[in-house]
Amino acid sequence: MEKKYWKSLEEIQPQSNGKYQEKQAPSEASSPMDILSDELNEKSSSRRDFLKWCGISFFSATVISACENPVKKAIPYLNQPEEIIPGKPTWYASSFIQGNEYCPILVKNRDGRPIKIEGNDLSSLTTGGTNARVQASVLSLYDDGARYKTPMENRNSTTWEKTDQKILSRLKDISANGGRMVLVTPTLVSPSTRSLIDEAVQHFPGLEVITWDAISYSAIRKAHQATFNRDIIPGFRFDKADLIISFSADFLGTWLSPVEFSAQYAKTRRLKKEKKDMSRHIQFESHFSITGANADHRHPVHPAKEAKILMALYDRIANATGNPVIGAPAVDFDVENLAKQILENRGKTLVVCGHNHSGMQMLVNGINYMTGNYENTLETSVPYNSGKGDNEAFENLVQDLENGEVDAILFYKTNPLYHYHQPEKLKAGIENTQLSISFSTAKDETAEACGFVLPDHHFLESWNDAEFKDGYFSLAQPVIRPLFKTRQFQDTLLTWMEKETDFHQYLKYQWEKAVYPTQTEHPDFYQFWVHALQKGIYEKPATETESLSYSPETLNEEITSVKTLANQEGEVVFNLYPGLAMYDGQDANNPWLQELPDPITSVAWDNFAALSPVTLKKMDLSEGDLIRVNQKIELPVLAQPGQANDCISLALGYGRTQAGKAGNNVGVNAFLLSKWEEGNRSFSGAVNSWEKSGSDHQFARTQTHFSMEGRAIVRESTLDKYQKDPAAGNELHQYHEDHKLTLYPGHNYEGHHWALMVDLNSCTGCSTCVIACQSENNTPVVGKDEVRRRRIMHWMRIDRYYNGTAENPQVVFQPLMCQHCDHAPCEAVCPVAATMHSSEGINQVTYNRCVGTKYCINNCPYKVRRFNWFQYAQNERFDYNMNSDFGRMVLNPDVTVRERGVVEKCSFCVQRIQDAKLKAKNERRKLRDGEVIPACVQACPSKALVFGDLNDKQSRVAKMIQDPRNYHLLEELHTLPTVGYLTKIRNPKA
Amino acid sequence: MRKKPAPNRKKPRNIGFGIFLSAFLLVAYFSLVSFSRENPESDNEEPPVNGVISPEEFTRTDLRKGERLFKGLVEFESGIHDCSSCHYTVRSDTMNWNPSAYELAKQWISEENYSLKEKLENPVGVRMINDHEGMQITEEEEHQLNAYLAKVFEEGRGELQVIPVNAFIFWGLGFLMALALIDLLITRKIKVKAFHVLILIVGLVVHMQYAVAESRSLGRTQGYAPDQPIKFSHLVHAGEHEIDCNYCHQITNFSLSAGIPSNNTCMNCHTVIREGTHSGRFEINKIHQAHESGEPVEWIRVHKLPDHSYFSHAQHVNAGKAECQDCHGPIEEMHIVMQTEDLSMGWCLTCHRDSRVDFLDNPYYEIYERLHNDIREGRIDGVTAAEVGGEDCMKCHY
Repeated sequence: MEKKYWKSLEEIQPQSNGKYQEKQAPSEASSPMDILSDELNEKSSSRRDFLKWCGISFFSATVISACENPVKKAIPYLNQPEEIIPGKPTWYASSFIQGNEYCPILVKNRDGRPIKIEGNDLSSLTTGGTNARVQASVLSLYDDGARYKTPMENRNSTTWEKTDQKILSRLKDISANGGRMVLVTPTLVSPSTRSLIDEAVQHFPGLEVITWDAISYSAIRKAHQATFNRDIIPGFRFDKADLIISFSADFLGTWLSPVEFSAQYAKTRRLKKEKKDMSRHIQFESHFSITGANADHRHPVHPAKEAKILMALYDRIANATGNPVIGAPAVDFDVENLAKQILENRGKTLVVCGHNHSGMQMLVNGINYMTGNYENTLETSVPYNSGKGDNEAFENLVQDLENGEVDAILFYKTNPLYHYHQPEKLKAGIENTQLSISFSTAKDETAEACGFVLPDHHFLESWNDAEFKDGYFSLAQPVIRPLFKTRQFQDTLLTWMEKETDFHQYLKYQWEKAVYPTQTEHPDFYQFWVHALQKGIYEKPATETESLSYSPETLNEEITSVKTLANQEGEVVFNLYPGLAMYDGQDANNPWLQELPDPITSVAWDNFAALSPVTLKKMDLSEGDLIRVNQKIELPVLAQPGQANDCISLALGYGRTQAGKAGNNVGVNAFLLSKWEEGNRSFSGAVNSWEKSGSDHQFARTQTHFSMEGRAIVRESTLDKYQKDPAAGNELHQYHEDHKLTLYPGHNYEGHHWALMVDLNSCTGCSTCVIACQSENNTPVVGKDEVRRRRIMHWMRIDRYYNGTAENPQVVFQPLMCQHCDHAPCEAVCPVAATMHSSEGINQVTYNRCVGTKYCINNCPYKVRRFNWFQYAQNERFDYNMNSDFGRMVLNPDVTVRERGVVEKCSFCVQRIQDAKLKAKNERRKLRDGEVIPACVQACPSKALVFGDLNDKQSRVAKMIQDPRNYHLLEELHTLPTVGYLTKIRNPKA
Repeated sequence: MRKKPAPNRKKPRNIGFGIFLSAFLLVAYFSLVSFSRENPESDNEEPPVNGVISPEEFTRTDLRKGERLFKGLVEFESGIHDCSSCHYTVRSDTMNWNPSAYELAKQWISEENYSLKEKLENPVGVRMINDHEGMQITEEEEHQLNAYLAKVFEEGRGELQVIPVNAFIFWGLGFLMALALIDLLITRKIKVKAFHVLILIVGLVVHMQYAVAESRSLGRTQGYAPDQPIKFSHLVHAGEHEIDCNYCHQITNFSLSAGIPSNNTCMNCHTVIREGTHSGRFEINKIHQAHESGEPVEWIRVHKLPDHSYFSHAQHVNAGKAECQDCHGPIEEMHIVMQTEDLSMGWCLTCHRDSRVDFLDNPYYEIYERLHNDIREGRIDGVTAAEVGGEDCMKCHY
């Protein structure tokens, strides 16, 4: 019996009234071609008007085509740089570093401008993966609307000489008079920057540095400090765990190091002929995260119940291992079973917790320690250098600012006026200072409130280094000359300190001093430096650390706060989570990220209050109503299946007011609800008050496009069934294979036959591929209104299917791109043969031939074709990156920017196929498997996508397509797609 | 079924009006295209470099005298020298190796402390010495010549004078046809009606022929051969001196683009070779000027494909072993580069269907087992590009 899958609540609750149904898009404004419609034809003047229009269009076409061909100039280099070949991309290794986020990357440079970011596969942390935010970061480089182009004084542009003079004399004055200067930074994973700041602190007496993170991980450090006397975040090893238990940690989406964890996680989840075992993942959470969606058991629980379960679990484990118990309150959950599983998997379990709550983190530490997971699934020898924010110091700073005890305040890469929960208080404090400086690259709330803005380079214009995890070094190098008159923050510091060197030299010096001695491979520093720069990374051999000693008595102090938390059960609470695309909101002006639909709710361009259907009913609300929470923020509610009852979840990162054209006032700022609590920044709390304040909010959802209509689009099974029969859950495939009959001749692929395989078991739904595709293929951004009209242009989308009950559904993600059918329904109906089959199995679209009848869109059973309803480039109505000279610099010159009126879709990144083939031809050799990598395949952090040539019998795809788990979408239609899917296998405890 | 609309009295007139309008537009269309085809190149010459010197600074007498001196109409004190016989004052479509009057003027404007007298009386280089030996001008004459050059500069390079033969034929025939029609219907002066019919038939045939030819070549620039900023001759370099194409266009083998050589490539030889056989030092000096000023030379692009087609030189030259001349014509025989092919899709496909790929020698093609078998068994003796996917849309359009 097939499981029943559903895509939206309406589908399983047909009694819902029409309110849920989205309004039909209003009909288009009357156009000249309306004269062709029947009603107007009745009028006597219609034919004449028609002739007029014909005449005018004919005439204008004549004039345009008869114009002289423009003279085009070809301007060569004066001195051609050796490494640059016009028309050929150059790749540079660099690093994406934004506060607590890090990813080693390769930057594709075409004729001097970076156009695409890919993962650095030399890094053993990310193994070539990226996430959506990393992929999109190249666009923010060209954000000429929001980036500062010159230094600013009181919001007027000025020059570096003037600002340097003014600021330096004031800094010296303050320093001489014993004043207090504070530099606020997020956690800096760059060792060289840290040491430079230390030098600056020495140079300017009175300067102090406060580290403050918008998304804080301070509780993990505090808990380790308390239980093990070590201020660390240990290195998590999901790949070594057979049992993963996560308490609200969205480790595949946003928590700590998602790219690294996705790679590790996928390793334990991937099934092959030779590896028929996988980890079990149990998730407790109140809001629906993509991590929860991937879990084998997901328990939607109220945060209070989560605390109770954690305490009960601790007690069970402590009992079994002979440690003192904490006296956990009773809980309505089968903790015994959970404890049993953990004890069975001693040393192979990983318990993680996403709450920034010291008490809960200490319990997790205890469980992990008592079951021997430390030094197995948690490595203390390679801790993370992120999450070092000191909330307490920042709270004191806000107080001191208010009292006027700070003379100068400097903000580097931080935007507390947006991230802090009391922005007015902070703003007043900033105004109290004599000197306020922001080093922000682009416009933000804090920079706009500061007296001086000394714009930093974009990270793609900067030198930098990173040591995200101990011993894992990486370098960042500039890949383009600074676009504007900006200066790197570090260079500014060096100038102020009257040093002769620039940061590039400083960086080299630091590496020579600190990093170079740790290696033995290269005999001289220059060689080492060049190699490190070329590879982008340097990984130091791991060192031994002393073993941990656990002190359970430290729990006694903290446990009361967990118990208080547990008492909240039954109350309505809120919890805040970083949005998958927005994270902390610093890239809010990136239209690619704004238009990335949340994989669970498929809402783009918005945040919302997610409520469970039960709570929604209880509160007498319906989807689209606006509510005011805690008198602070007002936002629309959304019915989310699988949301814990009595819990409102809100995504962070929206509601920026000074981000720029694309990001201003999209959604609301949920940071305003965050709190300072018991030494940590807390992202959850009680809803003291709420009221309905409006209704009928229209979400821009991509979800209601299509329905599954009871067909086996997603196929899944369980591990025990799979182990018995690898084709479990995929019985239909054999049936359709046996009943293949056709009247039509097949295709004969003599050379290549390209195919793409998608492993639904590895896919986490992180949506990286969506942005990678957009970046590679010049896909336009259409805006909230057009998304509402279902005109989103993404060539690739993540379909999400629910199954089970609305209270606790399971979720399957399915990446969907053009299936490149051998018997493609779209090809048969094109009246102008604009869409045809290539000799290599690609379903091709020729834009210059397309006349836009959209028959192909109608006939495509997968709904992957997109129509250009408008001209999206250079159109004021779509004022995103394609409407600015700078924004268009990101366009891939190897892909046509499509015109209005043509259909487009996934091409299997044919430009990359052509490129790889040409390379092989020129090198006079056969094409190797894995040489052609489409953008989606390259970007995937969990390697769920594999591309290759089916005609090469040794290729990975050729082997995967033989896998009994392989099936094709809508096989019954006999479209013969070349995209194959491997069934989803879950590993639930029987 | 919709009811048939009631007959409309106005209808015939509307149709007549429509036909008239369409006919009018058709004629306008052809006339426009036939004019434009004569001169595919339009010039957007840059404004004066510094604009310090303008003809207003000179008296009318100076201007007039200067022009006459330059054109050899009046004598210099040292005798008659017709400058304009070498330094053309009107734009020409044939190669004149000597700098034109405009180019001299431009040089004079852009160079500080430029003294015409000094340059003339101390010629450098074989070409210049031969032609200017013994020439002497007075300071007054120099002033007058300067006046004329300032005027030349202000007037700009000038339009290339081309006689629009096609347009004459087109409009002439149209006029004749109109006359024939009027006479046939209204005036009826000529009684032999076959005469009118003959004119109308011939006229229509010629017009149709123009229409077909013009619409086929719309947007194509076959025969385009613009003046380049430097009189660089492929005939001299590639033809006479047999320099390999790859020496200058070295990225052809690796890149989409063949690459216009950068200035430093020119300098490889021209640091030593300061003087050309034909052009003397004037043209080669431009390379040095670019090198010194840091302003790259702005060449005029001759061959260009539409934006929606992706063409890779590396694919054709390196993998496909095509010769440059296959697409660019006998480039080694051209002083001025001309687009010899129409670069249409039909032209591309013809070649893809006819030309053979490097099938047996390039291991890349080993994947085509059937074709290899056919060759082995003697069924075919080669493989064309079209047989290995050279006709797929997405080989060029993506």
